[in-house]
Amino acid sequence: MAAITQPGRGTLGEALAGVRKAADSHYGILSWIATVDHKRIGIMYGVTAFVFFLFGGIEALFIRLQLAVPNGGVVDADQYNRIFTMHGTTMVFLVVMPLSAAFFNLMVPLLIGARDVAFPRMNAFSFWVFLAGGLFLNASFFTGDILNGELGAPDAGWFGYAPLTLKQFSPGHGLDFWAFGLLILGVSSMAAGFNFIVTILNMRAPGMTLFRMPLFVWMTLVTSFLIIFAMPVITVALFELLFDRLFDANFFNPAAGGNPLLWQHMFWLFGHPEVYILILPAMGIVSEILPTFSRKPLFGYPFVVFSGVAIGFMSWGVWAHHMYTTGLGSVANSAFGISTILIGVPTGVKIFNWMATLWGGSISLRTPLYFSVGFVGMFTIGGLSGVTHSIVPSDYQQQDTYYVVAHFHYVLFGGAILALFGGIYYWFPKFTGKLLSDGWGQVHFWLMLLGFNLTFFPMHILGLLGMPRRIYTYSEGNGWDLWNLMATVGAFTIAFSVLVFMVNVIVSLRRGKLSGNDPWDGRTLEWAISSPPPAYNFAEIPRVHARDEFWHQKYTEDEQGLPVPVAAAAPAPEDGEHEGGHGIHMPSPSFFPLLAAIGFPLIGLGVIYDYAIAAVGAVVLVVGLYGWALEPATEE
Amino acid sequence: MKRFLGPRSIRAHHVVTALVLLGLLALLLTGCATNTSQNTFDARGEVAKEQRDLFYMAMWPAIVVMVFVLAGLVVTLLRFRRRSPDELPKQVHGNNRLEIAWTIAPVIILMILAVPTVSAIFDLGRKPRSDALAVHVTGIQWAWQFEYSDITDSGGQPLSSLGDLHIPVGREIGLTITSKDVNHSFWVPKLAGKLDAIPGNTNVMWLKADEPGSFSGQCAEFCGLGHAGMKLTVIAQSQEDFDAWIKEKGGSPSGGQGASPTPTGGPGGR
Repeated sequence: MAAITQPGRGTLGEALAGVRKAADSHYGILSWIATVDHKRIGIMYGVTAFVFFLFGGIEALFIRLQLAVPNGGVVDADQYNRIFTMHGTTMVFLVVMPLSAAFFNLMVPLLIGARDVAFPRMNAFSFWVFLAGGLFLNASFFTGDILNGELGAPDAGWFGYAPLTLKQFSPGHGLDFWAFGLLILGVSSMAAGFNFIVTILNMRAPGMTLFRMPLFVWMTLVTSFLIIFAMPVITVALFELLFDRLFDANFFNPAAGGNPLLWQHMFWLFGHPEVYILILPAMGIVSEILPTFSRKPLFGYPFVVFSGVAIGFMSWGVWAHHMYTTGLGSVANSAFGISTILIGVPTGVKIFNWMATLWGGSISLRTPLYFSVGFVGMFTIGGLSGVTHSIVPSDYQQQDTYYVVAHFHYVLFGGAILALFGGIYYWFPKFTGKLLSDGWGQVHFWLMLLGFNLTFFPMHILGLLGMPRRIYTYSEGNGWDLWNLMATVGAFTIAFSVLVFMVNVIVSLRRGKLSGNDPWDGRTLEWAISSPPPAYNFAEIPRVHARDEFWHQKYTEDEQGLPVPVAAAAPAPEDGEHEGGHGIHMPSPSFFPLLAAIGFPLIGLGVIYDYAIAAVGAVVLVVGLYGWALEPATEE
Repeated sequence: MKRFLGPRSIRAHHVVTALVLLGLLALLLTGCATNTSQNTFDARGEVAKEQRDLFYMAMWPAIVVMVFVLAGLVVTLLRFRRRSPDELPKQVHGNNRLEIAWTIAPVIILMILAVPTVSAIFDLGRKPRSDALAVHVTGIQWAWQFEYSDITDSGGQPLSSLGDLHIPVGREIGLTITSKDVNHSFWVPKLAGKLDAIPGNTNVMWLKADEPGSFSGQCAEFCGLGHAGMKLTVIAQSQEDFDAWIKEKGGSPSGGQGASPTPTGGPGGR
């Protein structure tokens, strides 16, 4: 914290005034473009990811419309393949990951009592690179003759199995955009991963030991480590693919001695940790909401922490369960079957601990709690169908059927998305000062839960009745018709619930109830400061004495373990800590992260179309990085 | 019930949720019973039957746990919902004994599931027996080609067929599977789970039809524009009918019917 407390400068009041002035040095839209404030970056992450969520959702509706009835004629095979590829890619890389990143940004500094992340400009850089990568990926649509219904998007699935991805089987530029887009997004993820590791390890308020950290911070730490180890694997694979496609290399070309299975190993060695990158933040959010709304501490905190860490480690040893049917041999299949069985254990521990947290509590039935409990229930179903996948010979039947589609939507939608919505309802008041309507929130929840189960539960049955994934059409007589129609009805129910949410946000922003600092009787530090928080978060860096610090400022415990409100609720500030005054040293706004980020898509376009553009992109990137490095850190 | 759940009556939406879940469960069970063309529950071969039984072994405990967790959540919410705004519950931080118990218990249950799983992996993953009928399967965008390695046609080539695979009932069939272009996956749900066809690799599996009939299957690995239409039919018939079909196609046994399939490369097996 040395950078923040500089002895020998004016009083605290003067310092705060100085910070406000610095933050106001840009106005309106410019103040957002140049911002390095983790809260603003978090909001931009969230809004952008939500827009991509709408894109991915519209793609899903096209899929469901096409499959609603046998021999559907809404889209043709080519359009269908491109749409489902973009649906998967969008939802994984442009929705769930950045929505989690939005919460990392918004919450981690507040939860650990810091004024910002460790590298604020790198944080802005992460966001702009994410936006650039997302736009680049979606620009692929326009590489086809889109006005005549020819989409140019990638068409080999989000998993992009070679050799279908090679130029000879997939001409056009869709897959080049896909591979380069994912590379760009990888840069964003890596930067964010390092940033949050350093932030969490170094920027915690005094007294915030690792074992006093809120669970969400723990899960962010584990996720960040998974990101920095997993992204390089997919990066190597994507470079090899681009070399095959652009420069006639032969990494995956069996005709020239390459091995298509190499891609699958690398993709899933990234892809399975990626699954936990998507779900661990959601688990962290739920582990914050459940204790708050039951007014009880998280049951078995160390078990929940260590099961999260165990999941992080074990996620590296299960990748080949995506590949049971590729002919790995009985020994490998047994090993990966058993490791997959075992990863169910720490997951189960978490579920039981969440239930035990609720048990005996005083449960406030508000929207964030509904979403969190919905998460626990739906994630349990997804986890159980995951256990059935570890029964390897039975999985020979289910692999690549709708049973798998059902499974991972229960984990990623019923799991991640429900928890992320719970997080939005929970923390929305902290950043806007307004509560989202609880009534409409519950309408949203019940519609979404109903629509979700209507869409994805029948898919278990479809898979067991032999319907493979990724087919754009099917004929009557397989017993699939009713289930597919149900799923389509469910998908539109989900879409309607999202509309309810959007209306709720717009109306609540204008006319929502004022929340005050602590609307939920919260337990963690963010509820101790104003809503929305000032740019510097904490006028004084708090001293932490306990897990759930803010709760312990409000309540003490009697001999029976019952909480007793502290008479004078206002926490006494620590005395004698700031003689000589503080300077609050906040990073100044900068345009250079955005400039550097613009370089990446230009380089991508250049490699695909014309090296001259790539040269321009490289210059932009270098200028951006140099400007960033040489720019004075603070305006004095 | 009323005392257990507390003074307020159960809300309507809880009942609706419970009914929806029960309804879906009932529908699932009717799903198992239907006799449709690719129903994995309606297994007609040794391999598919073993796979189905393993699925049941995992499915029933999973349903029990699911009902326990979902019911537990609903009961907890009803029983412990906040009744007055200043209600403050006892602050329980954990219980090591309980937590160790619910860590160990799943380990034991899952290890019990692992034993028959591993045993079945090796059983189904063994090489075909030496008296199995050898068929070489090639996935091609977008069709399945079958070659009887030990039966030659009139031109002296292995007897081949596109889309339809005729096999004798009750005899083990040894399949060697590869692809000419991109990845495909050979799958006939009522006879056996799938095995991928990967260019440059050869995978080996065996299957057996327990009764005569026509069993449909289709490519299960996304393979491009024609993926949805890449279907096949396995026609299982008596040895006499099978022999008659071979004769009709002009084929004759080359290396004797007992010749073993010869994998052409790769580690083979699942």
